[in-house]
Amino acid sequence: MRIVTMDPEICVACRNCEYACAFKQAGTFERRDSNIRVSFYPQERVCIPGTCVHCEEPWCLEVCPAAAIGRNPETGAVEIDPDRCAGCKMCMLACPYGAIRFDAKARVARKCDLCGGDPQCVKFCISGALQFVEAEEAFAFRRTSLDAKLTDLLGLAKGGRR
Amino acid sequence: MCDDHCALNVYMEEGRVVDIDGYKEHPWNRGRLCSKGRAAVDLVYHPDRLWKPLKRTASGWQEIPLEQALDEIAERLRGIQKRYGERSIGVWKGEAVGFAQQEEMARRFVHAIGSPNYFSNDSMCFNGRWIGYTVVHGAWSVPDYEHTRLVLLWGANPPHAHPNMTQMIMRARRRGAKLVVLDPRLSAVARQADLHAPVRPGTDGALVWGLIRALLERGAYDRELVENHSVGFPALEAYARAFTPEVVERETGVPAALLGEIAAALAKAAPAVVNYVGNGLEHHENGINNIRAIAYLDTLLGALDREGGNRLAEGFPTRRLTLYQERPLTELGPIGAERFPVLYGLRQECHTMTAMDTILSDRPYPLKALLLTGANPAMTNPNTEKVRRALAALELLVVRDLFLTETAQLAHYVLPAASFLERSELHVHAMFQVVTLTKKPLSFPGVQDEYQFWHDLARRLGAGEFFPWKDEEELTRWLLEPTGVTLEQLAGHPEGYPYRSIRYEKWREAPLHTPSGKVEFTSQYLKGLGYPELAEYKPPSYQSSPDPAYPFVLVTGARKLLFYHSRFQNIERFARTGRNPEMEMHPADAARLALADGERVRVRSRVGAIELPVTVTAPNEILPGTLQITHGYRQANVNLLTHDDVFDPISGFPLMKAIQVQVESLRRPATPPDTTP
Amino acid sequence: MKAVIIGNSAASLAAAEAFRRYDRASELTLLAAEAGPAYSRVLLPYYLRGSLPRERLFIRGDADYRCLDARTAFGRAVTRVDDRRRTLTLADGEELAWDRLLVASGTRPVLPRVRDLEGPGIHTLWTLQDADRLLPELLPGRRAVFIGSGFVSLQAAWAACVRGLRVTVLEALPRVLPKVLDQTASALLEARMRGHGADVRCAVGIERVERPAGRTPLRVVLSCEDPNVDADLVVVGAGVRPNLSFLEGTAVRVEAGGIPVDERMRTGVLGIYAAGDAALGPSVFGEAHAAHALWPTAVEQGRVAGANMAGHERVYAGSLNMNVAEMYGLTVASMGRFLENGDPAEEAVVEHDPRTGRYVKLLFRGGVPLGGVVLGTPEDLAVLAALRPRIRAGRKARLVPAEPFGGLHRTLALKASRR
Repeated sequence: MRIVTMDPEICVACRNCEYACAFKQAGTFERRDSNIRVSFYPQERVCIPGTCVHCEEPWCLEVCPAAAIGRNPETGAVEIDPDRCAGCKMCMLACPYGAIRFDAKARVARKCDLCGGDPQCVKFCISGALQFVEAEEAFAFRRTSLDAKLTDLLGLAKGGRR
Repeated sequence: MCDDHCALNVYMEEGRVVDIDGYKEHPWNRGRLCSKGRAAVDLVYHPDRLWKPLKRTASGWQEIPLEQALDEIAERLRGIQKRYGERSIGVWKGEAVGFAQQEEMARRFVHAIGSPNYFSNDSMCFNGRWIGYTVVHGAWSVPDYEHTRLVLLWGANPPHAHPNMTQMIMRARRRGAKLVVLDPRLSAVARQADLHAPVRPGTDGALVWGLIRALLERGAYDRELVENHSVGFPALEAYARAFTPEVVERETGVPAALLGEIAAALAKAAPAVVNYVGNGLEHHENGINNIRAIAYLDTLLGALDREGGNRLAEGFPTRRLTLYQERPLTELGPIGAERFPVLYGLRQECHTMTAMDTILSDRPYPLKALLLTGANPAMTNPNTEKVRRALAALELLVVRDLFLTETAQLAHYVLPAASFLERSELHVHAMFQVVTLTKKPLSFPGVQDEYQFWHDLARRLGAGEFFPWKDEEELTRWLLEPTGVTLEQLAGHPEGYPYRSIRYEKWREAPLHTPSGKVEFTSQYLKGLGYPELAEYKPPSYQSSPDPAYPFVLVTGARKLLFYHSRFQNIERFARTGRNPEMEMHPADAARLALADGERVRVRSRVGAIELPVTVTAPNEILPGTLQITHGYRQANVNLLTHDDVFDPISGFPLMKAIQVQVESLRRPATPPDTTP
Repeated sequence: MKAVIIGNSAASLAAAEAFRRYDRASELTLLAAEAGPAYSRVLLPYYLRGSLPRERLFIRGDADYRCLDARTAFGRAVTRVDDRRRTLTLADGEELAWDRLLVASGTRPVLPRVRDLEGPGIHTLWTLQDADRLLPELLPGRRAVFIGSGFVSLQAAWAACVRGLRVTVLEALPRVLPKVLDQTASALLEARMRGHGADVRCAVGIERVERPAGRTPLRVVLSCEDPNVDADLVVVGAGVRPNLSFLEGTAVRVEAGGIPVDERMRTGVLGIYAAGDAALGPSVFGEAHAAHALWPTAVEQGRVAGANMAGHERVYAGSLNMNVAEMYGLTVASMGRFLENGDPAEEAVVEHDPRTGRYVKLLFRGGVPLGGVVLGTPEDLAVLAALRPRIRAGRKARLVPAEPFGGLHRTLALKASRR
């Protein structure tokens, strides 16, 4: 299945992804309506986008006492059925990534559902930090990135200019 | 929509736009899009959108038919020209309308009716870089991100200002390129910089000269370019000597060690170095020379028109719509041309700030009417108070816009304008050398596109012969003729039609478009106009002659992702995100003034004052002593503070990013001026 | 091979699903004394509160058991298990053979030794039947007394508050939710409850229940000088006992709190496993037999038991207590260990905002997180959630930032990195 991968080395915390998600979920541009959240730590200059990674063995699904969380057979996304959810928040306590939020108006838990297979956050990510790729190859970009760094170092070690 | 020119998919249902996203095949944005693009859906159908012409009457706005509006406007224009002369009318084209054929239509119109007075937002944008680079290289080069090894961003923040550059820069970084950001603030892009150098506002030139000196010192410069293709190198070399790391540190605040690191990175990556300069360097008293110095740097690095450096793009050779050959009208004294001969001479741009004084004083001659299209100077020009007075003093002010903006509210006639979805026009993406023809998915009755408007008005004023084409499409065909590319061909290439393959090092075969044909470190052109021939660095006045009553330096205009100058403030969904407006302040300064985050303060300059909440940043997000306020907010319009009487002498650009101000809490009475920076 | 599961709730269902993942051939049977369909006990307070319709309490239907190829016999109690012949007997006399048996029969509420604590108007709140009986009694203006301030009790009290009853909570120990909160959080919650009009009394002893004539159906008489409490109904939430009478005569060790099991949910008698509220299994803190009567623990134990029953060896890493509920306008949650025990290596990280009543506390020892307490908003749960894997692993918490940790997270990250 395809998942949304996030690269903190590319993200600039512009939050376009949050706006796009909030717009899709609730028609607003407010961060609290977004399933994807970007953290920014100015002093460390660290930008981290975080959203559900649709675990193979989802902690949330297993723990839900209302049997409201299931896996979409087409997209593979772990989804909360808002009609079954009672708002007990056990899933929020279970998810180690903090990827589940609580919709205080509807009183249900909400999370990323991969927009049914065409995730908006990825389309609106202007830096390219978010990609929608097959899980098997999800972090291949790290290899490229690492290769570039190694090439740099090796080139230096060999004493030449690149 | 904005100045980034993204390729979009527009989804229609029963003739109505329901969604917008990015078009994957176009090389410019590759399917990605920012939220503003999506918001065009809100914009086009906004409840406040104007659909009918409005006329100001004693009892308020009155809706009148379009034909009547055009008739009345033409009649009044004729009357004004008769009484005060043909040059008493000006045309002002705003950013909302774009920079290609729409701009040229406006320029054509004003000359067609006998006036040389074309104004635009470029009195304060773009031209600074265009002039600075052109004086040195003969053109403003485009960054070649795809092949670069080092990117330097000077006062530019692509994620908020030109979102597409962000993905280009990040792709380069994935391939191993490094990113250096020079900005007094930790802007969004700076968050990912390998080196962030917080430069004091307006002192970038000193930093550049310091880098030049460092390169020259180690002999790390492109000798072939310098010896065979430049003039004035000895003067440059001599001038650079003074900019030792210690001098640079004192002037800019950038530590000597950091300067050394940047210089080393430059030497290592040359010639594949991109220097991209943003609007951040234009709004200063010394902007042009700071920018010229960067053009010098490009040359010394050998990055000029080289792969991975700054490429001299080849344009798409459409016909020109302007009448500068047929009817130059320079003898009529275009406003600002005498004061800023370079601005007029190189860009045929009149000076908007001078226009305000002209309107109010009738000197050098009366300026009595302005036709504005897609411009909102009552919010975006400096010294709002004077702008309003001046616009209100006009005998005729006509504004074309989507909404009743702050400027439109001062008008005699307001005409509904077509949005970007209601026009079909040519977009040239010089970085990829492709040209794209946009489709026109929508049109509304009574809402004219740019061509229709100028055409109808010109006919009424006896200048119809200059607008002979039936409509926009026919005009576009005419523009395309010399290129050999047809409208149909373009329509078949929504991903962009490559009009010329990309070539480098063209300076080997042909001279540059400078008077000498070479890179001009020293410019005889400028010297002839009375300016120093070399891009000498002049410290900003807040450093050289600080006023103790105004101990802070205010930068204005940092971009926000969801707003575009004064636009999109009326999209309610945008307005509810984040704190709008706000003043950014360093925590040490806030602590000294005992200000809490979110507290309202009054900020005052010599020109005016506003009140707004303060946002206390993290210590590395802004320089101590520096403040930032973004423009465009009705509730706290920072242009009530900005100067229209301090300019860069060459471009005439106003000082907007290094303004001396004072801050006081609203909770307590004003404290005596604090003289510690 | 014949696999039989006694029970039809969290542990049983998880066990059945886990069993079938590894063994599709053997016979699988689920038995339960309670009639079906399976429902979620955790959701009963939401039903009482009126925020959940009754039909949403049910978490499995016939189709689910068919998918599992499981036979079911609900509403039929097991009366006897024979661990030598490997059979069990149902109430109507039917006998079933088993090769693998999972005891996941849960618990039942126990009434404290209070005189006359029985009869009309006295309620327990454990089963759906209890909830069905209690719900029509929750009428505005009535007076309800809740004995015990455990998680279920307080949630029921909140439901009563929401429905406009006048609520009194009586707790024997010095503070409310003693097993779920620390002292500060208990005090804050008590204050919050009083702010909502509830009469909260801690450290009280109950002597007896009287039935005075006239307009007061019940009177709860307290020991010492505490004033008595008049009530229209009394809800007892003062403890549970495991349903294990059918194991009498077997070699299975049964303690007051349940059946001790090892990390594979084995009882010590070959072929017999136990999971859920009826079991005492390993905890993540190294206790061999902890009483964690929690839904997530039951699910985890059930999964382990089911896998082992199918011959797939699986070891339980240990249960970690976690609780969350919303009451009195607060999200109340805790996880792991959050009470200091005087060890000098312990360090508490606390965020407390007296204005809003928000209280978040995390306990570390030597850089390793032990647990925490939250009285705040749903967003605050993410802090505990992020710590969960590290509490389980006993690993130092060098947390990677993820919203919405905000200020607290910052503190964590900075604190952890200094170690």
